[in-house]
Amino acid sequence: MSNNSILVVGGGFAGITAALEAAEVGHEVYIVETNPYLGGRVAQLNQYFPKLCPPSCGLEIQFQRIKNNPKVKFFTMSEVVSVTGGPGAFDVKIKERPRFVNANCTMCGECEKAATTTVKSEFEFGLAERKVAYSTHLFAFPQRYVVDAAACAPGELDKIKDACPYNAIETADAEKTFDLSVGSIVWATGWKPYDMAKLDNLGGGKLANVVSNMQFERLAAPNGPTNGKIERPSDGKAPKRIAFVQCAGSRDENHLNYCSYICCMASLKHVTYIREKLPEAQVVVYYIDLRTPGRYDNFMQKVAADDKLTLVKGKVAKIVECECKSPILTVEDAVTGIKGEERFDMVVLATGMQPSCAGSKLPVELPVDDDGFIIGGAEKGVFAAGCAKLPLDVMKTAQTGTGAALKAIQNVVGR
Amino acid sequence: MSNTVRVQPDLKFVQELQQVGGESLKKCYQCATCSVVCPLSPPDGPYPRKEMVWAQWGLKDRLVNDIDIWLCHNCGTCSDLCPRGAKPGDLLSALRNMAYRNLAKPSIIGKWMSSAAGFPLLMLIPAVIYGLIWSIMAGKLGTAFPLFVTDGHGLKVAAEGAIIYGGLFPGDYTIDPIFGAVFVFMALAFAGGIANMLKGFETLPKTYIVGRGKEPSFLSCLIDTLKVEVAQHSRFQNCGKEEKDVQRFTGHLFVFYAFIALMVVTSVVAVGHWFGAFFLQHILGLEGGLAGLIAWAGHTPMPLWSPVKLLANAGAVALVYGLMKLTSRRTALDSAKSTSNWYDWYLLTVIWGIALTGIGSEIFRLIGQKMLAYPTYYLHLIFVFMMLAYLPWSKLGHVVYRTVALAYARKIGRLPMGEI
Repeated sequence: MSNNSILVVGGGFAGITAALEAAEVGHEVYIVETNPYLGGRVAQLNQYFPKLCPPSCGLEIQFQRIKNNPKVKFFTMSEVVSVTGGPGAFDVKIKERPRFVNANCTMCGECEKAATTTVKSEFEFGLAERKVAYSTHLFAFPQRYVVDAAACAPGELDKIKDACPYNAIETADAEKTFDLSVGSIVWATGWKPYDMAKLDNLGGGKLANVVSNMQFERLAAPNGPTNGKIERPSDGKAPKRIAFVQCAGSRDENHLNYCSYICCMASLKHVTYIREKLPEAQVVVYYIDLRTPGRYDNFMQKVAADDKLTLVKGKVAKIVECECKSPILTVEDAVTGIKGEERFDMVVLATGMQPSCAGSKLPVELPVDDDGFIIGGAEKGVFAAGCAKLPLDVMKTAQTGTGAALKAIQNVVGR
Repeated sequence: MSNTVRVQPDLKFVQELQQVGGESLKKCYQCATCSVVCPLSPPDGPYPRKEMVWAQWGLKDRLVNDIDIWLCHNCGTCSDLCPRGAKPGDLLSALRNMAYRNLAKPSIIGKWMSSAAGFPLLMLIPAVIYGLIWSIMAGKLGTAFPLFVTDGHGLKVAAEGAIIYGGLFPGDYTIDPIFGAVFVFMALAFAGGIANMLKGFETLPKTYIVGRGKEPSFLSCLIDTLKVEVAQHSRFQNCGKEEKDVQRFTGHLFVFYAFIALMVVTSVVAVGHWFGAFFLQHILGLEGGLAGLIAWAGHTPMPLWSPVKLLANAGAVALVYGLMKLTSRRTALDSAKSTSNWYDWYLLTVIWGIALTGIGSEIFRLIGQKMLAYPTYYLHLIFVFMMLAYLPWSKLGHVVYRTVALAYARKIGRLPMGEI
């Protein structure tokens, strides 16, 4: 007797979509997510395409659908350790890291107040610190704190426990492993921003006021480290001149040898953030080719009408900083053939998407290309979706999620 | 549009370029990383991005008259950081190779120099010349491997004598006239090549520096170029501080000054012999004193303690050291980033040949191995001939072409971004 249930690895937009599509036609679905929350990269954005909604908008509906559907079960802070069996009858071993917080949590925040140790926030891409008892963001789902016990000072965990009025802290929580039996697997592990520290000549990770596009999303997000104020990380001043460096490590055989599809649009979207929050700021976008797929071209036309925005064909290949920590770019305008230095208050590197699992061994053997994107697996009953498969925008990610759900259902029905 | 430019692509030229080392140029997507990271590129119309697009479009006229190929010192930073592996550095060296091939006349030598296929023929020419001299002299002296003792002002063959190269290959009427002729031939070829090159530069703007005032004379620019770029290798130093850059800077500097030392030695010998021994002593009949010293300084074989010999030996050691640096850098090049072409290997081969056969000749002479000494010296003559006679068509032609181009660039203010 084959198993009808479906495992979805990754609780981002693709994974959630695939899980709900399958569950809503009657399949039992498990979502395994490594972060303490669902929503993936979309949760970290300020606004997302196509309609520039805040992430809470689309995700809130999905979370409601998950909550209201008993067929969907999800595990956060969890990873797939191994997969045995085959299509129709997989046995999947899951490892769940301890959260130290049980379902009694009401997000009152007393634990956070009691905690004293702070570490760099992964959710804010290092732009802010977080306590060892923390919630990543306001609309985090599930609405439950996390305690980072490994980073706690001696005795701090007990202090945190004592501060909780709801008896929600489980100091004895430990790593658990358990097995799931499923018939199909949807692989939707998504992407990570390309490590900008590898962009030596652009000063990535070294120059104070050179940030990545994802860091810029956090700077613009109302729930971000600056409450949505766009400011220089070095001194908190509002930048008057901002440059965007397109293809920072993309379409580059020394880094990511492909186009990440959406970075040009993301930078144009960032221009709209700047225009809304800093009406006087001058912006220059340096590009190789401005890639505006399909209907996105209309958006580009609209943004390009901004008279304080300049679009320059020419890739920035060198960034240093002055004593005042302002980045100085060297660039050749390939149209005029003039090479020069330009000083800005802040620079955003439009870094690309790298598959999350690039460079690490997958717990199930799937064919991947040179860059780590999954390019097959259907014959094994594993269906890739979202940015684990190729760089996509949110809308297309959802479409691949639906597609993967359909294939996963076909794989278990009628066996 | 009123200023429409009709592009006349020369597709054959593109293919030729790809053959002489620019095979990856079609991969370029014009991002301009190369011209930004180049430490020597000027701000106005920086290279090598524009050369990449000209090459893709087959704009031969612009490329063959481009001064920027001589400003490039081939550090390879552009190719290292090129996101497409289009190797702009290789394109510029391919363009220089085309210049070596086409600037000087007769262009048939350029054709022979352009691929390994021409190498045997180029080697055969001096091999036949010196082979003839050897066989004629062997007939005259009665042996192909003679030992000599001095006999008044001349030499005579003797079983207990020493190896004297000048006995088998007499300087006065074999070595010196041939090299004299070779030198004149080379100088004339260069004169034509330089004239061609400068004619190409006429299309360049008269100055790149706005509000510069009076333009310096070509001569003063040439002197500055010799003092700064040539003597101090200043541009090489600006190429970068990575291991391979330092290796190249040191290697080139050693080879350069080794040649200067060896040139001084050759001049002392020539002046000592022709001015001291021939003109002062033989023609004017002066004896002893200054005339004697001048004649003695140029007299070969020299004693090992002679300052001239010491300089020659120091030069030889410096030459080998420099060559080792340059060769190890070239063999360690990442072929995905930069490739070496025939012009590179030809020059290294010939200079290695000169260095090894030169040192070998001295050692075999000193240990009295005549069967090894004379063939080694014969090879040495062949390699020296190959370097000098074909110089304008070889990569070594940069000694003259680059120097002139850099001086011209100084004159019109075409300087790296950091030097303006």
